[in-house]
Amino acid sequence: MYKVVVPGDYISDEAKRAGEGTYVEEGKVYAANYGIVSEKEEIRVVALAGKYVPFRGDVVIGKIIEIAYPYWIVDIGSPYEGRLHINEFGREGDRKIDFSSMSDYLDLGDLVVAKVLNVDALMRIDLTLKDEFMISDRGRLIEISYTKVPRVIGRSGSMIKMLKEKCNCFIFIAKNGRIWIRGKEEDMNLATQVLLMISNEAHTSGLTDRVSNFLDSFKEKREGE
Amino acid sequence: MEDLRKDYVYDLIDSGKRIDGRGFQDYREITVERDAIDKAEGSALVKIGDTAVLVGVKVEPGAPFPDTPNLGVIMTNAELRPGASPDFEPGPPGENSIELARLVDRGIRGSEALDLEKLCIEPGEKVWMTFIDIHILDNDGNLIDAAALGAIVSLLKLRIPTERYGLTGDDMLSPRETPVAVSIIDVGGNFLVDPCLYEENAASSKLTVISNADGTLSGLQKSGNGGLKQEQIEAMIELGIEKGQEIREKFLVIEG
Amino acid sequence: MKNEELELIKDGKRLDGRGFDELRPITIEVGVLKRADGSCYFQLGNNKAIAAVFGPREMHPRHFQDAKMAVVTYRYNMAPLSDDRKRPGPDRRSVEISKVSREALDPVIIKEYYPKTAIDVYVELLQSDAGTRTAGINAASVALAAAGIPMRDLVSSVAVGKIDGEVVLDLSAKEDNFGEADMPISMVARTDTITMIQMDGRFTEDEFKRGMELAKQGCHQIYELQRAALLDKYSESVEQGEK
Repeated sequence: MYKVVVPGDYISDEAKRAGEGTYVEEGKVYAANYGIVSEKEEIRVVALAGKYVPFRGDVVIGKIIEIAYPYWIVDIGSPYEGRLHINEFGREGDRKIDFSSMSDYLDLGDLVVAKVLNVDALMRIDLTLKDEFMISDRGRLIEISYTKVPRVIGRSGSMIKMLKEKCNCFIFIAKNGRIWIRGKEEDMNLATQVLLMISNEAHTSGLTDRVSNFLDSFKEKREGE
Repeated sequence: MEDLRKDYVYDLIDSGKRIDGRGFQDYREITVERDAIDKAEGSALVKIGDTAVLVGVKVEPGAPFPDTPNLGVIMTNAELRPGASPDFEPGPPGENSIELARLVDRGIRGSEALDLEKLCIEPGEKVWMTFIDIHILDNDGNLIDAAALGAIVSLLKLRIPTERYGLTGDDMLSPRETPVAVSIIDVGGNFLVDPCLYEENAASSKLTVISNADGTLSGLQKSGNGGLKQEQIEAMIELGIEKGQEIREKFLVIEG
Repeated sequence: MKNEELELIKDGKRLDGRGFDELRPITIEVGVLKRADGSCYFQLGNNKAIAAVFGPREMHPRHFQDAKMAVVTYRYNMAPLSDDRKRPGPDRRSVEISKVSREALDPVIIKEYYPKTAIDVYVELLQSDAGTRTAGINAASVALAAAGIPMRDLVSSVAVGKIDGEVVLDLSAKEDNFGEADMPISMVARTDTITMIQMDGRFTEDEFKRGMELAKQGCHQIYELQRAALLDKYSESVEQGEK
């Protein structure tokens, strides 16, 4: 069973093991977040809510919200914006990309998959494009809280694997809680429903089985029609 | 720049000193000039170190509040004059001057210094309205103590302009109590009385203690982003009452 | 304003039947507003407060940003029909209450985790019956936790006062209007650290100390209820999911 804590709850005397979501006062570890205690190597409190804060190496889905030469400014669902440098696209023949041609490459509203290169002390976030796949018009963006992402992925990817198979969709989950799905309209509807279900019930037990049963019964119903 | 100053103030206080060499429990030099404004019914110019506050009290007839038909009315307002401090923002009064005015007002009201029944002219119709206007001329910290002192000094022999309005009754009102505000800051566990501006900015918490001649409290206000323990508050209250009495003896003895 | 004719204490009990150290009934509900990052409904007697927290989010205008930490804002507002005399818009009383409430919560928020951002707290009073600022702070504290804002502790708040010469806990409107003193207090129950204290009226030093003791008791009780509400919110979602 999960142990839920509120800010200020005492957790442990082992100050050395204090990790994310906790703080240490006079040698004791206290909860800094409303969340669930996880005591592995580190004592952490996994937050039940909150805003995504980027770390180097995170892969995120972002949306271009501003063209501010030489950067595209990217909304990554965080209190902090990211930025992509024009160097991402090299040069146009002999010339560097200039302001007027930036929108030919990435325009306002475009969705991108990017990796966080660096976060500096002033919270400037440098991104680089990941070219695993392109986000195109065919497909759908779903947003959930970044805190639920681990549950959608599941232990060793078990949950996400099951979703991809049973929904027959391409599903990509980014660290910042944004999910890109692609497939037939009715398959995407099913996937959307299930993803929101997982997000709402992230901290319940037996979730994997429930999701599996739900998907199976849905499929049965469809085949029956 | 501000952080360097804060650290400097902290370190000094840690080693038992203040920027201007005062003791932790010492006020800067206080000067009080009564009747600084001719046209007001009561007024005072108070200086505490480089902080200067001018208080003027106007008395006019007006309508009472509906729920207190036979009581006079007190209204207190504070304004930061341009050039008073580098942080001055022109326009409608901000939260600091609103807090200051309301705190001074509560101190006077809570102590029942003014007998509001005596300010009644015609129950339900007409009462004397006392407008206390606080003008902050120069801000080097601890505006509250200066403003509160200015307010009570202005009320020491408050002229009631009966003749001007063709009314009868007493033409002077003296207060029944003399509330004094004493502000104390906490810097790393040390209590400092009468903080100057640098000290105010360095402190995490400030407690203003408003006390009366009979040792009772008629106002308390903690401000700032810190926390205080009960023992600290109780100690600050005792200190506030003690320093309040010192100020009272020097400036608030009602003659005749 | 003392009213000589009204007896606020009769046969050792207050007008509403409470003992001197009793709180009015409290109801707390977490997550009442879907659009806010965190929210809480807090009812204390006939006071009804809703707190909504947005953030951390980008702070505008930029020149108010702090490069090293989040900036906390707090807006207390009484809804127009919540009280007889209320006209729309912020008044001087609301401005002061907003300031002291912000200063009551600021000390526990770990602002360094979110530099350059704003954490905005909005508290609306739908109904008032003395103690609105304390209800607001209690609601805001829970809403901040529910929003995932990192904090060292929850903050709890209650007012004490003096009626007919007796020091009592949690004044009702009549007691506030006709009593002799009113002292709202906010504190961290875990450490008994006081983050807000104001006083209106007149207290002797001893009455003040008695008031502090009652306030501590009251805050400890409220803290347990705030904590339970947050824990219940979690187990409630667990139950619903497992159905």
